[in-house]
Amino acid sequence: MEPLILNINHRNYQIFQVEKNETLLSVLRYRLDITGPKEGCSTGDCGACKVLLDGVAVNACTTLAHRCAGKTIITIEGIADAGNLHPLQTAFVEKGAVQCGFCTPGMIISAKALLDVNPKPSRDEIRKALDNNLCRCTGYVKIVDAIEEAAEMMRKDDHE
Amino acid sequence: MNNKEWRLIGSGVPIFDAKNKVTGKTRYTGDIKLPHMLYGKLVLSDKAHARVLSIDTSEAEKLEGVRAIATPFNTSSKKYNSALRFVDHDIPKTETIFSQTVRFVGDRICAVAAVDQKTADKAAKLIRVEYEELPAVLSIEEAMAEGAIQLHDNVSNHLNEIKVSVGDVEKGFREADFIFEDEYETPIVSPMAMENHVSIADFDDEGKLTVYSSTQNSFAIRNILSDVFDLPQSKVRVIKPTLGGAFGSKIPAVLEGPAAALSMMTRQPVMLNFTRKETLVASRTRHGAKIRLKTGINKDGTIVAQAYDVLTNTGAYVGSAYNVVGAMSHKVFKSYRIPNISYTGAAVLTNLPIAGAMRGYGSPQAIFAQQRQLHAIAKRLDMDIVTLQRKNLVTPETVDPVKMGSPRPLDCMERGMELFGWEDKLKWKENKNTINNGTDKQEQTDSRRNVKRGVGFAIGCHGNGVYGAHRDFIGLRLKMNDDGTFVLETGTHDMGNSLITSQMMIVAEELQAQVNDISAVEADTDLTPWNLGDYSSRGIFVTGSACLKLAYAMKDLIIEMASAMFQEPVENLSLVPYRKVRSTLGKEASFQEIFVYAQREHETDMLAQVSFGSLAARTSFGAHFVQVEVDTQTKEVHLLDYVAVHDVGKAINRMSLEGQLEGGIQMGLGYALSEQMTFDDQGRLINNNLKKYKMFTASMMPEIKIDFVEEGDSPGPYGGKSIGECATVPVAPAVVNAVADALGYDFHTMPIDVEGIKLMETLES
Ligand code: FES
Ligand code: FES
Repeated sequence: MEPLILNINHRNYQIFQVEKNETLLSVLRYRLDITGPKEGCSTGDCGACKVLLDGVAVNACTTLAHRCAGKTIITIEGIADAGNLHPLQTAFVEKGAVQCGFCTPGMIISAKALLDVNPKPSRDEIRKALDNNLCRCTGYVKIVDAIEEAAEMMRKDDHE
Repeated sequence: MNNKEWRLIGSGVPIFDAKNKVTGKTRYTGDIKLPHMLYGKLVLSDKAHARVLSIDTSEAEKLEGVRAIATPFNTSSKKYNSALRFVDHDIPKTETIFSQTVRFVGDRICAVAAVDQKTADKAAKLIRVEYEELPAVLSIEEAMAEGAIQLHDNVSNHLNEIKVSVGDVEKGFREADFIFEDEYETPIVSPMAMENHVSIADFDDEGKLTVYSSTQNSFAIRNILSDVFDLPQSKVRVIKPTLGGAFGSKIPAVLEGPAAALSMMTRQPVMLNFTRKETLVASRTRHGAKIRLKTGINKDGTIVAQAYDVLTNTGAYVGSAYNVVGAMSHKVFKSYRIPNISYTGAAVLTNLPIAGAMRGYGSPQAIFAQQRQLHAIAKRLDMDIVTLQRKNLVTPETVDPVKMGSPRPLDCMERGMELFGWEDKLKWKENKNTINNGTDKQEQTDSRRNVKRGVGFAIGCHGNGVYGAHRDFIGLRLKMNDDGTFVLETGTHDMGNSLITSQMMIVAEELQAQVNDISAVEADTDLTPWNLGDYSSRGIFVTGSACLKLAYAMKDLIIEMASAMFQEPVENLSLVPYRKVRSTLGKEASFQEIFVYAQREHETDMLAQVSFGSLAARTSFGAHFVQVEVDTQTKEVHLLDYVAVHDVGKAINRMSLEGQLEGGIQMGLGYALSEQMTFDDQGRLINNNLKKYKMFTASMMPEIKIDFVEEGDSPGPYGGKSIGECATVPVAPAVVNAVADALGYDFHTMPIDVEGIKLMETLES
């Protein structure tokens, strides 16, 4: 069996003996110890496992690993730039959008996918973009606040 | 007391481990990989009630990579109660690690350990269980019926009643102008922390069992493991890594026992991680309840007598069955000045998943009935609900301050009305009813003709700690480091609620330090002093108070050492920012200098240690207001505005108060409108995944306005009281009251989903 080559957070990984039905989440968490993406349901319903696949937020638990060959995968570990938090991460911290943090990686991935295509979303657009991300701690309030704030920070950065 | 200028207390400080959480670095239990770790899988019963005749493991054993299979026949069958709280806690023991008689669909039969998860899953599927089926009782009624099969031999299905009363209830009813009797029913729901339950057990060759677990209750888990496996507690260590939410579901022992059994067989670490479906059926649920409520009221709106009669569905084993009905009995006395109240509550065993603790612990059920009926009574008597509340709610002037402190549900209500615009919203409704074409623009469009609006509110309450029920105790230790920073050793479990952050804030506030100067070692039974466990909203009220005592103890140590160093009396000395001592004569030393002096001159460690037992009970209150729109065609409920005001005594960490309240609202909205575990006639959970079990998502949430009443004079730190559980209590009755207002129906059940409304329509017509 040919090894599977995946590009994750800008590095190539060779993974051996990946079965046809193995999910991207299983490869990330159990084979590569990339444990930022969380497993909350494994049925595509909670969003805790979200990663960016060619810039689109997908659930890694319902994405087959071998389908990701040749694509760019970014996990929560690849969002900060050399230790400098991404504005979304800074805003999540400062606005109190993090409680237990289990949903946070998926939330930030969904938010990043949104802001990449819509730099000035309304609160309703933000909420809609999070509809496949469940959180039991925050009521989503401070998460929406943080994404609004991050969008504003990013627009300012762009203008400078 | 609150006039003091605070540097930190009352401000908003992000949770202490937020940065690791936003970068994915945080290691939850399920992220840990120990060398040679095996992966486990449980085999759960697919029968609601049956005797396990045999377990055929031969096929599974043949599978390459399988290392052990633990069954009821080769594992300790010592009975325990999974909700044990301390070593001498006396509650009925009905559960074993694996069941020879399975009592619900999801009961643990056996478990496999294998080299990887896939192999373990495969092996579990190859195990053949032979059952002899027994009759199953799937509801409170069936379980209580004459001649019903009894689930256990040491307790009956109908567990002992808890009775509490004040005044003369019969006399109260005789003298009341009106009497109302209603029966309410609340659903079985799931706490649904986003992190599934997970435990890693590591039994080594010294005979020591180390368990890493997603638990809120490390010291009690140690007690259970030590008892079941007959190990001295020096040979059991329970460690809590970061928790991905808990909400009560992680109080009981669930996976720790089976993981330990597998590790003891293999002498290798074993991880057992529930899937979502397993968490739903095999962890814990909120007790479903039936509440008969009788209220006697006078023409002027004074409530003179109230009688609660409660039955809860506690599922297949006695966990916190008694505690939940017991806790409920306290809550119904707190909010109102009713002279005569009686409460009778009992839990009933059924062949359904085990009910346990969940945020609110009995309050959401009892308060739903209380607040729903009060609104219904106002309507039936054509009284103003606000007047009715004002007439009966407790105020600081109407209670014994020693027992109740300064309860402020009324202030919460008044402030909430203001923020919500209660009067205006009522006027809007009246106008709309008299001017038929409507004044609101939205109302004029044809497509919205089927939309009805309603407003509602509810008052809720919850306790602070367990004082009155049993010991409420924590020990804490604070070590100064060589550079004058600190390490806090605390047996508490941060569930995302900033419990650790709040402790750091208190220590930093008192020691003139910054939050970052404190680091914490969390619950680890070998390292941290004893703690009861994190439930009953003990966090701020008990642990916060202990932390204040701890900070004072360290302060005394520092001042005494500085006094020796400066050769000045302690009265001259005070702490100043950051981490310095200053004397009135102008001398100054940093904590680092004091530490060095203590070490060099006195060979003394700067170590403070306290024990703290809570000796008071206080109640937290909240008033929630909501406006809804109901589409009479699609039966969909849409939430427009939401206001929540809580009596928290004094805000410690404002950010976490708001955050917990907002999260509590999400949970309560699901309780009111969308969440319910439903079972088929075989006792199998129908909505067993997150597609079918409907939690509130971001776009279903209303905009929420929040405020706090901070008139703290409670014995909590700086007057602070809890929010965590209270947050969710008023939500469901507020929402159901609003929907009742919109549609004119007198709801007695939840959730009010499409089916719930249709059912009401048929009942009303
Ligand atoms: S774990 Fe992938 S969506 Fe829940
Ligand atoms: S912060 Fe806990 S699930 Fe979102």
